[in-house]
Amino acid sequence: MATQTSQTLSSAVYAKLSPHPYLLANLQPSVPGTPASRTNGRQPTQARPPFVNTASLTHAHGSAVVRTGDTTVVCGVRGETLATSQIPNYRPPPPGADDDTASTAELREYDLLVPNIELATGCAPEYLPGVPPTTLAQTLSTRVYSLLHSSGLLDVQDLRIYHDPSADEAGAEAEGDDEHMQDDDIDGVGIAIPTREVKAYWVLYIDLLFVSLDGNPFDAAWAAVVAALRNTKLPHARWDADREMVLCSRREAPVPLSVSGLPVACTAAVFTAKDRLKQSQSQSSRSGDKKDSFWILVDPDRFEESLCDETVTVVVDRSDKSEDTRILGISKSGGTIVGQEVMRRFVKVAEGRWQDFKKVL
Amino acid sequence: MADRRRINGPVGATVPPVYDSPPPPKTNTEKDEESVRKIFLQTGVTPSASGSAYLELVNPDSTGPSNTSLKLSCTVHGPRALPRSAPFSPHIILTTHVKYAPFATKQRRGYLRDSSERDLGVHLETALRGAIIADRWPKSGVDIIVTIVEGDQDRHAPESQRDDSWDTMNVLSGCITVASAAIADAGIDCVDTVAGGVAALVAKDATSRPSVVIDPAIADYHKIYAACCVAYLPTRDEVTNIWFKGQLPGADMMLYNNLIERSLVACRIANKVVVTTLKKTIKPEEEVS
Repeated sequence: MATQTSQTLSSAVYAKLSPHPYLLANLQPSVPGTPASRTNGRQPTQARPPFVNTASLTHAHGSAVVRTGDTTVVCGVRGETLATSQIPNYRPPPPGADDDTASTAELREYDLLVPNIELATGCAPEYLPGVPPTTLAQTLSTRVYSLLHSSGLLDVQDLRIYHDPSADEAGAEAEGDDEHMQDDDIDGVGIAIPTREVKAYWVLYIDLLFVSLDGNPFDAAWAAVVAALRNTKLPHARWDADREMVLCSRREAPVPLSVSGLPVACTAAVFTAKDRLKQSQSQSSRSGDKKDSFWILVDPDRFEESLCDETVTVVVDRSDKSEDTRILGISKSGGTIVGQEVMRRFVKVAEGRWQDFKKVL
Repeated sequence: MADRRRINGPVGATVPPVYDSPPPPKTNTEKDEESVRKIFLQTGVTPSASGSAYLELVNPDSTGPSNTSLKLSCTVHGPRALPRSAPFSPHIILTTHVKYAPFATKQRRGYLRDSSERDLGVHLETALRGAIIADRWPKSGVDIIVTIVEGDQDRHAPESQRDDSWDTMNVLSGCITVASAAIADAGIDCVDTVAGGVAALVAKDATSRPSVVIDPAIADYHKIYAACCVAYLPTRDEVTNIWFKGQLPGADMMLYNNLIERSLVACRIANKVVVTTLKKTIKPEEEVS
């Protein structure tokens, strides 16, 4: 540890010793004429460009790898079948109930979507394996779960596996028995035509693995979920009454899931200058009359997240034909600085982020 | 077995998809006996870790969406101080964790570590212990975490056809290679770079005699009699770990030695890849500074 005067501290040392003044000095430079920026060189409303790579895993029905800056996450979607006889609280859907409310109810009640986020892969020094999921991992999993259900991204119709008795008896299968055909002609006249019933469901296991974490895990995780679901193709499945199990067919090509909409999440952290610093140079302050000046840092990295208490997340979707912005979720926690006005401006920023993701997804 | 901290699926048992017809026959592009599948290795995947590396093995005749068969990611954290409660140790304490991702293999793996992953971790630790100069880092620990993003299994192989733990050998040799690159990326002193290689005694179809093959692509062969995975330091000509599994026909006494010699060939090839990758990692840094 050589003795150095304070002017000769390198910026890396300064960042380690006193991170808060370091970030503040970057955002609010004391020398006029120096452009204000964050420590990573970005502007406060500038997010890292995303890169998405899909269909890279062999054993998953759909997969995606999303990289925003140094945050990298891999998502794999696997489908497994669940017979309705195994569901304890199963109720057959009433006839003609293919509308949206029934759709989300079935997905939620029978737990057909199982997202899980694994952070303990050594992605950052504080997330080492061998410990049960941390609070952050549990929170992220729950947020992805609730957003997946509330956004209505998937249609339960894709996940239903039917048993079609009339198709069975008419010998439509390759192994159809000829003896039954004559019987059926006699039977079919007297008895009411049997309708198809749901015998099994596909359960989608959506597993997210963080290879590297440099702040803002939720945005990357949500983008990976959307990209993987759009890439998922499930095989054709039918219920075989003789074997009483679900059989998948190789003859037909796998069916892609129908994903409605393209919701994109945008997260920002709120960085406050503390009271004791001078108020006079508040030129980058977002609210002129408050005592504290603050900055909204979109897509924070690990360094900025460690200095900010309050975060705000907005999930928007602009994939409608009318190009209207639909807000699917707003959440903010950790502080009281963000109000309605800031939120309005932040939604505009989120729309820009939506465009970034639209280009790559 | 509900894990309270994760989102559990439905209560009932879910079954992976079962197909009604057999898979399409493999287009059998014969793998050259003397060659190892092409390895793609890159360091610096996780910048916040002390060192990291990513490995992929190219699969030449793949039918699935991607043309690589084995994908491994390794991060190294350390050397860091041991907790105060730990007793004094004059060497560095190596801790290895190997974990399959849930979507890595044909059967979905859970999030809790099972015995095969612990087994791989112990073999990996033995292999690396011989290469690291442990005395330079007293009272320190280093964590080596390998995540298997995709295991080395064939997409269309029927599950019940054979005991599918032969691919664990290939996975272990990949783990050793990628961990060695990550340790060097972390700047931990080693006497040499370790590399892993696999050789197996296989029968290509029902009638052919058993022959020794290096870097076996498991799905290509009708029966595998025995396999061994060796971790080797080429410059010092030292072996740090051997894992041998199977039964050798008893007549030929030299067959075991032959198998080990052939796996050393695979190790040398893998080591060349590691050295090339590390050179690429070092050179850009020199240009900047």
